[in-house]
Amino acid sequence: MESISTPRISSQLIDSYVGQNVMVVGKVQQLRGDTAVIDAEGQITANLNRDAHLVNGNAAQIIGKVLPDLSIKVMSSVDLGSNVDFKVAQAVVDATHQCRDLFVFDGSKNMMMG
Amino acid sequence: MATDSYGGGYSRTSYGAGGGDDAGGFVYGGSQGGSQSGAGKGYGDDTLRPVTIKQLIEAEQAYPDAPFRVDGLEVTQVTFVGMVRAISPQTTNVTFRLDDGTGIIEVKQWLDADKQDDAGKEPFALDSYVRVWGRLKSFNNKRHVGAHVIKPVVDYNEVQYHLLEATYCHLFFTKGNPAGGDGGANGGGDSMFVDGGHGAGGGGDVPMNDGLRMVSARARQVYQWLSNSEGGNEGIHANMISQAMGMSIGEVLKCGEELTSAGVTYTTVDDETFAILDY
Repeated sequence: MESISTPRISSQLIDSYVGQNVMVVGKVQQLRGDTAVIDAEGQITANLNRDAHLVNGNAAQIIGKVLPDLSIKVMSSVDLGSNVDFKVAQAVVDATHQCRDLFVFDGSKNMMMG
Repeated sequence: MATDSYGGGYSRTSYGAGGGDDAGGFVYGGSQGGSQSGAGKGYGDDTLRPVTIKQLIEAEQAYPDAPFRVDGLEVTQVTFVGMVRAISPQTTNVTFRLDDGTGIIEVKQWLDADKQDDAGKEPFALDSYVRVWGRLKSFNNKRHVGAHVIKPVVDYNEVQYHLLEATYCHLFFTKGNPAGGDGGANGGGDSMFVDGGHGAGGGGDVPMNDGLRMVSARARQVYQWLSNSEGGNEGIHANMISQAMGMSIGEVLKCGEELTSAGVTYTTVDDETFAILDY
């Protein structure tokens, strides 16, 4: 049992999460070497680790730390295939931030809205 | 939004297949029932609540061994999703560490002695999502979930669906029924899970102000009343709202505060005078 959260965010919220671990669900737009560009309400650059197996055009879930340049250093990435409804993914991001007490342990800094 | 289709998949996986090919569920009930202090109650009072792992970690107990409560309501059976972070086979059970992004919790699936062939195999890959149906337990002050059934999630949308459903239930119990009514169990006979309401999110089917989605039914009534009355920019004092609506002052102020923090009203000449925020 651990009180650690990786809040689901989109690129719209990333600047409030520098230094924290987050989760992003989006569409892989570009794969070049060990960086990927992921679209989640805007583009996010992800620095992948060795064992990433993302697929261009597919959905992906990445978990990682937001760096000061607003890219994400990925710790875990999963290819989600092509059948992911991004509108629903965005609804979950919204729910996460409207009902923070269901989703996010605020052990660290970063208190957004209520 | 195609909530219906998720709803269908959900009920299919939960029970249709559950009892049949997964005898573990029954064994669990038998072997655990005796050692559990809260036993004696039948399954008749059980509910099945979709939750996030954070809700399980924060579930309250009035005293040790008391039933767990989420949002002030007793939870018996729960269902949630999570990514498998670790699998450790034990002699009597398999312990999984599941992470859904809101927290991490241990889930134990007891092994069926009659089905020894199951013991060796690890059906779930690390970092894959699974859905769990089970009960929250406490042992040596450490919480875990005793799983009846664990199934792999084959469609990632189920993860999203589950989180929205958990949000819906939380809002239903804390803020009341979005369709009106005061949060009682009067669902109007329809299934609370598949019809529009809060879960529908960005869809165009919610005619009311977006900020009102998260407020209580009471506060919504106050908002309705405010928007139908002539207050202009001056706002209307809580006393007048209280008289007109037959609510106590305290209640009006609470609703006012709720509406103001939701960004749909603001206070004008003093803290007890509210006006609709129109932009």
